[in-house]
Amino acid sequence: MNTTPAVVMDNGTGLTKLGFAGNDSPSFILPTAIATNEDSTRSRRTSPSYVIGEEALARADGQNYSLSYPIRHGQIENWDQMERFWESSIFKYLRCEPEDHRFLLTEPPLNAPENREMTAEIMFETFNCAGLYIAVQAVLALAASWTSPKVVGQPLTGTVIDSGDGVTHVIAVAEGYVIGSSIKHIPIAGRDITSFIQTMLRDRGEKDTSLRTAERIKQEYCYVCPDIVTEFKRYDQDVTRFKKYEAEQNAGKVVTVDVGYERFMAPEIFFSPEIATPDYLTPLPEVVDNVVQSSPIDVRKGLYKNIVLSGGSTMFKDFGRRLQRDVKHLVDQRLRQYEQQAGVKSSGVEVQVVSHKRQRSAVWFGGSLMAQTPEFKNYCYSKQDYDEYGPGIVRQFSLMNVG
Amino acid sequence: MSQELLEYHNVLLKSIFTEAIVDQQEPVKIDQVVSDFDNVMFHISTPESKTKILLSIVLKSWPDLEKYGAKELLKAEYEGFVTETEVGYNFSLLVDLENLPCSTLEDRTLLVDKLSLLKRNAMAAPFELAFQQFDEMSKEAQQFEIGSYTPTDAQTEVMAIKYRDEETIYIQPNWDRVTIIFSTGFKDETDQVLGKVFLQEFVDARRRALQNAPQVMFSKEPPLEVQRAGFNGQLRPDQSFITFVLFPQHIIPQRRERAISHIQTFRDYFHFHIKSSKAFVHSRMRHRTGEFLKVLNRAKPENLEKSTRKI
Amino acid sequence: MSQSLKPYLNAVRHSLNAALCLESFGSEIVERHSYPEVEAGNDPLALLNPMYISRNENEGVLIETSVNSVRMSLRVKQADELERILVTQFTRFLSRRAEQFLILRRNPLKGYDISFLILTTHIETMMKHKLVDFIVEFMQVVDKEISEIKLFVNARARLVAESFLVPFYQ
Repeated sequence: MNTTPAVVMDNGTGLTKLGFAGNDSPSFILPTAIATNEDSTRSRRTSPSYVIGEEALARADGQNYSLSYPIRHGQIENWDQMERFWESSIFKYLRCEPEDHRFLLTEPPLNAPENREMTAEIMFETFNCAGLYIAVQAVLALAASWTSPKVVGQPLTGTVIDSGDGVTHVIAVAEGYVIGSSIKHIPIAGRDITSFIQTMLRDRGEKDTSLRTAERIKQEYCYVCPDIVTEFKRYDQDVTRFKKYEAEQNAGKVVTVDVGYERFMAPEIFFSPEIATPDYLTPLPEVVDNVVQSSPIDVRKGLYKNIVLSGGSTMFKDFGRRLQRDVKHLVDQRLRQYEQQAGVKSSGVEVQVVSHKRQRSAVWFGGSLMAQTPEFKNYCYSKQDYDEYGPGIVRQFSLMNVG
Repeated sequence: MSQELLEYHNVLLKSIFTEAIVDQQEPVKIDQVVSDFDNVMFHISTPESKTKILLSIVLKSWPDLEKYGAKELLKAEYEGFVTETEVGYNFSLLVDLENLPCSTLEDRTLLVDKLSLLKRNAMAAPFELAFQQFDEMSKEAQQFEIGSYTPTDAQTEVMAIKYRDEETIYIQPNWDRVTIIFSTGFKDETDQVLGKVFLQEFVDARRRALQNAPQVMFSKEPPLEVQRAGFNGQLRPDQSFITFVLFPQHIIPQRRERAISHIQTFRDYFHFHIKSSKAFVHSRMRHRTGEFLKVLNRAKPENLEKSTRKI
Repeated sequence: MSQSLKPYLNAVRHSLNAALCLESFGSEIVERHSYPEVEAGNDPLALLNPMYISRNENEGVLIETSVNSVRMSLRVKQADELERILVTQFTRFLSRRAEQFLILRRNPLKGYDISFLILTTHIETMMKHKLVDFIVEFMQVVDKEISEIKLFVNARARLVAESFLVPFYQ
């Protein structure tokens, strides 16, 4: 039939990633925001004009546009706005005729089946798209990790740590299905790290303490250390560890900002949250361990063996290594206790954290991997299927076994 | 540009080239296959080194376009960038960021614009040819008395560009006009009805408000020009023909470039707005359904109690 | 509201009021079961005479009454192709949300656009006069909504056509 590539759209709370299957990075990454001009007299007669993405944020400063975020906490809240958002994504950004392409969309874990139906209704009735597949984000993140040499085969069992800007999820997936009861959320994510850096800069009285500078420092200089106490000592002995960042201010003025302990202190809040907030005290490795322990016993080994990272806030150097060490420590402790009590030698549990190159857009990349396979079309529902069975059809999608 | 219209260039190409050429950011590794309207695909990559961007295009309608001089036109338009065509594609350009022919910011911006219009330029060939023929014929016609001149059929070949599976553009130049015919169709019943409403407005626009606009006609039967182009395909019941007649005032030299870009977007513009209207209709119905539910829920006594208690 | 609409809606309101006198009624055929008799239709003793109220040849209401259920089917005005499409879209939209609408029948009766099925339980849990209010308002609003959407589509089409043609001579 057609050889046009499938369209992969990953609509998240903060960012939307758009692109064509087969590529290893999304073509567009834009804020999931839409600005509508409801005010004009023309709008009553025709329909409001609107813009999405960066442009929406820019327009929102003006008088006539109102800004809205159609997705809240991963779920689509405003379907009218979402429909328009998709329309612009497809026609203005991706520039494709939806009738020629199949679509892979993503959804958060535990999405209500009604939401899927609404999505299908829009994709088929408004856009007449050729085919639709809706995949769970965590499962796609697992699929994205198959490119890592550490992963043997194509397991669909694993623990996904998805950390974006607003919130961090830890999700256990067994054989391609999310274990709903064991999902945990951590209120620490990218935004908190940035503001932690900003506070440190302010406390020291640096010349530039803008959010942008903090963000740049986070992206360029931060890393995870094995132990903070020794790391402090190292800094005191070796002055070269202190860096300087040249911040560009308004009107081309450049000021130099010192970068010091925040290099390792900021990402440390994942592992010692008490240094940043008094409200949340469980370190990430402990949360991961809890998630696995609350899952059915027969999949726990698989979950420990394949801990997959996804999202921008897991990109710090040595993040995976530290996590692996700490989780391993917890597991070994439990095993030793068990050995003492039972008097039996345990064969040990393998703990492995998988980092890979596509971590930042892991969900999108997983989608791209799945949608580029020739089998993808067999897993999609077509417009004909939809017309025949109605929207209820999308309640069930078969899992894709690629390979 | 007005909100309703579609851009002529490819947004992704433009943003990639703007970063590389205008902003002169650190060269990065690129490898993307992107699609555009009308079964067009681009491959933008940096196979040799990060500073050499290879851009290839493949069009479904290439055999037709090539017949009408697309290759020559592209070669002239992108002189200095043309390179050996990548396997599986129709035409390739190589942009060497270290040896750009232009230095000023303005020139670089122009180059970016030119590069991101690759699809438009490839599709432009038959239109350019038609306008050229129009020039020649109208010059010839001036030697005769207006009205008594009738060109022979042989002179005015109808060009057909099969740009989608079941849709074709026909172009025919004449001494006093250029006729462009789109065949299009809708598989979905709702789309068909909406499409008819929209087309009627296209037809009426000239009569009602825009006297200077090109004439638009719409028919279920293949027009004469289409029959002459050797149309013999089976006509699906939902297919119809939209004819645009461009008069000399629309193709004066300063409007020509724009006319070519603009007419190309017609099909997608048309389909885009059908879908956009459906989206609006849906949001109205969604709203109305919610209102109905509210009225129905008022009939439930427990809701009534709650609402009175609040007061 | 146009001249003929008011008497029409009034007639529907009164007829519905009269029809909605329902009581729990066990099936005469299967022991310990209770069917909506109007749907089962196999017990002539439980059925009353149906009634058809019409405003004109395109618009009308069929009220079928039985001892424990009322089925009411609606025919909505469809002057042209566009209205026809809009009505089908709208009814499809509604029937997909039939779960929440309780009294909406998932499939309309043949020859009609929308059907409601009101059972004894509905009358017991909801106030009858409000239920009638709902149906009457529904009839009124559907017409208005369809014509408004139609106006919108036409206006939109005009705008779209004009914005496309303007660049040719500007």
